[in-house]
Amino acid sequence: MVDVMGPDLISDLPQSIIESILVQLPIRDAVRTSILSSKWRYKWALITQLVFDDKCVPFSNDREVVEMSVVKFITRVLFLHQGPIHKFQITNSKLQSCPEIDQWILFLSRNDIKELVMELGEGEFFRIPSSLFNCRKLTRLELSRCELDPPHSFKGFVCLRSLNLHQVLISPDAVESLISRCPLLESLSLSYFDNLALTISAPNLKYLYLEGEFKDICLEDTPLLVEISIAMYMTDDIAEHFEQSSNCNFLKFLGGVPNLEKLVGLIYFTKYLSIGIDSVHLPIMYHNLETIELYQVNFEDTKEIFVILRMITSSPNLKELQISGSSNIPVAVDAPDLDFWEKGCLLDSALNKLKTMKLSEMGGWPHEIEFIKYLLCRSPVLETLSIIPCVFDMENNLKMLIELVKCRRASSRAEVIFIHE
Amino acid sequence: MMKPYIWLETSDGSIQQVEQEIAMYCPLICKEIIQKGMGSSKNCAICLPQRVSPATLSLILDYCRFHQVPGRSNKVLVPALPLSLMLERKSYDEKFVRMDTKRLCELTSAADSLQLKPLVDLTSRALARIIEGKSPEEIREIFHLPDDLTEEEKLEPLKNTTDDPRIRLLNRLYAKKRKELKERERLKSVEVEEEHIDKRSVDDLLSFINGNDEDPKGIKTSKNKKKNRRKKEQHQKNSCLKEASGVNKKEVNGQNIRHTNSEADIIAETSISHTEDVFAHKEFDDGDIDDGIDPALKEKIDREVEDFARRLNSDWPERMQELLSSGQERKTMLFSPNGNSFLRRNACMFFHCL
Repeated sequence: MVDVMGPDLISDLPQSIIESILVQLPIRDAVRTSILSSKWRYKWALITQLVFDDKCVPFSNDREVVEMSVVKFITRVLFLHQGPIHKFQITNSKLQSCPEIDQWILFLSRNDIKELVMELGEGEFFRIPSSLFNCRKLTRLELSRCELDPPHSFKGFVCLRSLNLHQVLISPDAVESLISRCPLLESLSLSYFDNLALTISAPNLKYLYLEGEFKDICLEDTPLLVEISIAMYMTDDIAEHFEQSSNCNFLKFLGGVPNLEKLVGLIYFTKYLSIGIDSVHLPIMYHNLETIELYQVNFEDTKEIFVILRMITSSPNLKELQISGSSNIPVAVDAPDLDFWEKGCLLDSALNKLKTMKLSEMGGWPHEIEFIKYLLCRSPVLETLSIIPCVFDMENNLKMLIELVKCRRASSRAEVIFIHE
Repeated sequence: MMKPYIWLETSDGSIQQVEQEIAMYCPLICKEIIQKGMGSSKNCAICLPQRVSPATLSLILDYCRFHQVPGRSNKVLVPALPLSLMLERKSYDEKFVRMDTKRLCELTSAADSLQLKPLVDLTSRALARIIEGKSPEEIREIFHLPDDLTEEEKLEPLKNTTDDPRIRLLNRLYAKKRKELKERERLKSVEVEEEHIDKRSVDDLLSFINGNDEDPKGIKTSKNKKKNRRKKEQHQKNSCLKEASGVNKKEVNGQNIRHTNSEADIIAETSISHTEDVFAHKEFDDGDIDDGIDPALKEKIDREVEDFARRLNSDWPERMQELLSSGQERKTMLFSPNGNSFLRRNACMFFHCL
């Protein structure tokens, strides 16, 4: 049965290449290579990245059966594995909290784990064991739906560069101290946190992503921040807090980020920034800020508009602007305060680099039109202005179009694209 | 002083001129030029690692030529590459790795020796795609891997097996089946060796004939056994096999011709019992066992086992008749110089009906 074949093409390649190949295979296929030939018997056991997803065990409708097979499989793989494990990832929706996970994390803490990603299925939150905090070489930590309780003596992860906590139960103090104790932290992502007043002190932080119910966000020491994305949800508590607040949030938030390149704000972010904005004299310029995206902006609130204009004024190199209005139909009965647009030089200089503007969820309300007019007059190199209306009301859209056509344009090349159904 | 061209020497000793900008995309060449000042003339051509042949070098240079164009590099993260450029790069990369497996392996090896990581990742991914989802046989064939693991090693439950006794039974069946196939191979080669042996006494021949007469009966008994036994104990079968394999190991010479027959007997018995087992097994095999064994492989073995069983069942009545009649005929031809061939042919026929 033995054919005369050519020489072995692959078994003698250096382990780094074999690892590169095996790591790009699903874990089951990688483990299966053990029966190919005697040379391949333990090649898989040396790989330094173990990724277990929903496909790592055969499918079955019974969740508990699948969970059992996943647990057995992972335990077996870890037991047979040789050498360091740099990356360990479980993203399996059938696996829920179980005692074996503690043992796995203990095992990993003894094997130089660098990247740990755990995203378990819906269910009881898993409580992270203390052995996690002994992983000295951790560079990336991503946890989902678990309870994190760092011990008091925890000195931080000295090598951690990326932290991503999604729906994690952790006390606010613990979060802040965790962040401040990771000196090399470059990327921070916190999502679905409740009622958090957060002060971030991270001298090396470059990427910040926050999503949740935040009462307050203070970027105390983040000089190197390059990209920010914030989504702030509202609760009654938070609304009250906003009303009572006397700080200037704009300064608190954007006061210390001179290197910012991209800013994305969602839901109540603009509202948050609008608090205390009147008293602001903005000394800071954001010379690197090229992209601003603000969603759910309430054009009825002139303060929010003011926030946008202030931001634009401070960004001489702005290239791309995306604004999305809120889809609420305005309730104000009084005539809008259009003087707002006349008074004071809101924008002295032109936006010399602005090339793309995209406005969505536009209802055609007076302030929105004024806003568009205002910007069109001041963007000499504008190439595209896209407008997406929020209501598919032909009459309303027609009114909007008529107003838009009247606008003067500073840029002869500007294309105004009205996108409708 | 940046010359536009540098000189590279490949594993076969040939030296070629390459645009410096393109060659510098390879970290190793870059280092050689900058740190050691090599490559500026034919005399101090940069010696490329042994794994880089001229053909692979030309492929690598094509890759470098495309990717070194500013804006196409992977290193740009913020701001991200525009979508059109990303798609262009992806499409180029996908076309680039379309080649036969041998060249792909050589290319990976060469890229690795030149420390060109993006190309190593690309080619590894292509190789991973080749391996993914294929059965072990297919993978062995593609990469010319020797099938040199023992049965136990192969059946070792490294994967996701359960403790289901049915699976253990199936595993044992597979093991047995493989052993059997090996048996047959070995016996066939045993016969070939028999050709060379020419020293047999008449006594031996006579005893063989006598043994042969008993044979059909032996077969009959076996067949009866088949009707009686539907389920057998595992260890019985195992011991049968052991006997057979033990007998096999004896050297082939004239004295053992008798043994060859008993061997065949045992094998026949084992084969039948094996078949029985398969049927017995199939009684409580619901067909949806998750045994963690590669499904394609399992299917193949299932098919083989069924084939085998079918042949066994269909052939027995006819073959028996044949043997009975041929046995009587052959008796008269005993003392012909072709005595050997008679032995051989009989044995052959016997095995053939298996």
